[in-house]
Amino acid sequence: MTSHTAVVARRRVRTGTLFAIMCVIAVVMLYPFFYMLDNAFRNQAQFARQSGHSAVSWRLLFTQLPVWRELLNSTLICAISILLILAVSTTAGFAFAKLRYRGSGLVFLAVVAALMVPLQSIIIPEYVNLGKLGLINTYLGAILVYVALGTPFATFLMATYYRGISDDLIEAAVMDGLGYGRTFLRIALPLSWPALATVTVLQFIQIWDDLLVGLLFLQNPQQRTITVGLAALSSGRTTSIPVLMAGSFVSALPAITVYLIFQRHLVKGLTMGMGK
Amino acid sequence: MAAIVLDGITKRFGDGTTAVRELDLSIADGELMVLVGPSGCGKTTALRMVAGLEEVTGGTILIDGQPVNDTEPRDRDIAMVFQSYALYPHLSVYDNMAFSLKYRKTPRAEIRRRVGEAARILELEPFLARKPRQLSGGQRQRVAMGRAIVRQPRAFLMDEPLSNLDAKLRVQMRAEIARLQRSLGVTTIYVTHDQTEAMTLGNRVAVLQHGVLQQVAPPQKLYKRPANLFVASFIGSPAMNLLEATVERGDGGPQVCFGTHRLAVGERAVREHPGLGGYLGRKVILGIRPEHLEDATLVPDAAPGSVLDVQVELREELGSEVDVHCRVGVDPLHPVADGEPGDAAEEIEPLAAAIVARMDPRTTLAESQSAKVHVDLAALHFFDPETGASLRAGG
Repeated sequence: MTSHTAVVARRRVRTGTLFAIMCVIAVVMLYPFFYMLDNAFRNQAQFARQSGHSAVSWRLLFTQLPVWRELLNSTLICAISILLILAVSTTAGFAFAKLRYRGSGLVFLAVVAALMVPLQSIIIPEYVNLGKLGLINTYLGAILVYVALGTPFATFLMATYYRGISDDLIEAAVMDGLGYGRTFLRIALPLSWPALATVTVLQFIQIWDDLLVGLLFLQNPQQRTITVGLAALSSGRTTSIPVLMAGSFVSALPAITVYLIFQRHLVKGLTMGMGK
Repeated sequence: MAAIVLDGITKRFGDGTTAVRELDLSIADGELMVLVGPSGCGKTTALRMVAGLEEVTGGTILIDGQPVNDTEPRDRDIAMVFQSYALYPHLSVYDNMAFSLKYRKTPRAEIRRRVGEAARILELEPFLARKPRQLSGGQRQRVAMGRAIVRQPRAFLMDEPLSNLDAKLRVQMRAEIARLQRSLGVTTIYVTHDQTEAMTLGNRVAVLQHGVLQQVAPPQKLYKRPANLFVASFIGSPAMNLLEATVERGDGGPQVCFGTHRLAVGERAVREHPGLGGYLGRKVILGIRPEHLEDATLVPDAAPGSVLDVQVELREELGSEVDVHCRVGVDPLHPVADGEPGDAAEEIEPLAAAIVARMDPRTTLAESQSAKVHVDLAALHFFDPETGASLRAGG
């Protein structure tokens, strides 16, 4: 009896300790958001003395800065890039996973190798190439860079997912009269929702939050993305922190929303290939 | 319906492995042909070549006289039932069954009629709106069958469709498949490693080993007149007892001797195994089916020269019969599955001294007991120890 009580007590202490640790981690993670939101509702003076709230920063943000335009630019670039990444990675992933052809292993190895190349090491050649093609300061230029950077990982993820789909299923569709193209569209693609969601969320967060590519390839104020716009705001001679905080919150909101919507699929997608 | 001919087909993979070697097989219109053999014998590869899922390295596959080596799977008009059932998990039972018809531009009313008819035959009507994950193993198997039936194809190919079911359901579904195939009359190639399934289902059974066809025959012929040692040992459960023996001339005709035992096989054995005469003084492999061994006390008129002295090692009660594992005073031989094809002598392991007898349940033989076992001399098999070929007339 005494031993049972001791076990229960030990279990409670362990649970309590874990809970306390998780609380500390949650505070560390959430405090920046709280700080951002809290200070977004102050004016300069209120920010300086850290008391009082007002919506003046929000009015300034939406009336004096091209936030809507920048949000639209970010959305457009993000959406088109992700669509292209999905189009390439799903078809390539399916081909790597399910079609037998000479050299497929080698090509897949090259795709995986591309994952290891850091963005910083290829950004200058990319800039030179796009410059030669006249694509600097165009949406297409930035989109192509994002697609080139995002496709290897997405292809790797999709190929891994399609490898998990039984070959019998693909062959059954072929026997049922479908070619490989329609088998991909009617069978493989509808079954790959978790992987599609994973690629979408990861690429959305990556592209939406990216600064370097936007800064280099979209220097024209009309084509700036939200992150470039915020960077420009903070690099001025007098930076309004409350306005910057409001802008940061606006910038973070879509990524958080996308994550929350696809969260369930994301977990499934990231753990695929780890067993049944 | 269609006749299918495999004319010397060979499959060699890129790594040099030959899965199927010059397989000649002719399947008549409406026939159910079973391909049986141990794992890796090439039966599934042969089936996949007929389906068009595997390229043919050599030889020709003919469907209704037309070579189809270069015909796409979808254009062969063949339906396949997979071991895993391969049901589309995101589609309902109805859509799974209607899938191929939709892509063949079949009118909607006709699709409804055919799916409805198949669902009625397979008792799937209450489940048409369900997804595959909501079905039991047996129901999924029936949906897989239904998907094949609605197409009304020229032939069915079935790749171990019952192997994922439990033993009881397997027996039920086996009967179901046999009944369906007979009522539809569709040419069917059925692959299995289960010799019971092969024997109960097939009009004819083709036994393969290492990609080589060993024998093709109706089930009873295969059992009673195996062409070689491999077929003799593969078909039948428990397996045929194989013993190395010497043929000698006795007073009443030829005798086979092993250890201290002499079985007076008589002239009848020579008539049925004309080759046996040439083995006088030489070794043969003697084959005895377990059911041809009986407790001698239950055979009152047992002829002299038909009884073996054995030591009982194990008694297994099966209800309607009893399997008695015995040891005889001679080295028996057992086939080994991974020998080289055609090299029967290397497939024999002259070590174990056990034989199995399937006896009448009235037998009182108990473990560790010395006993006399009667051999049905009219049902013996003889094989050449070098080639493994049967010495029976006509193979």
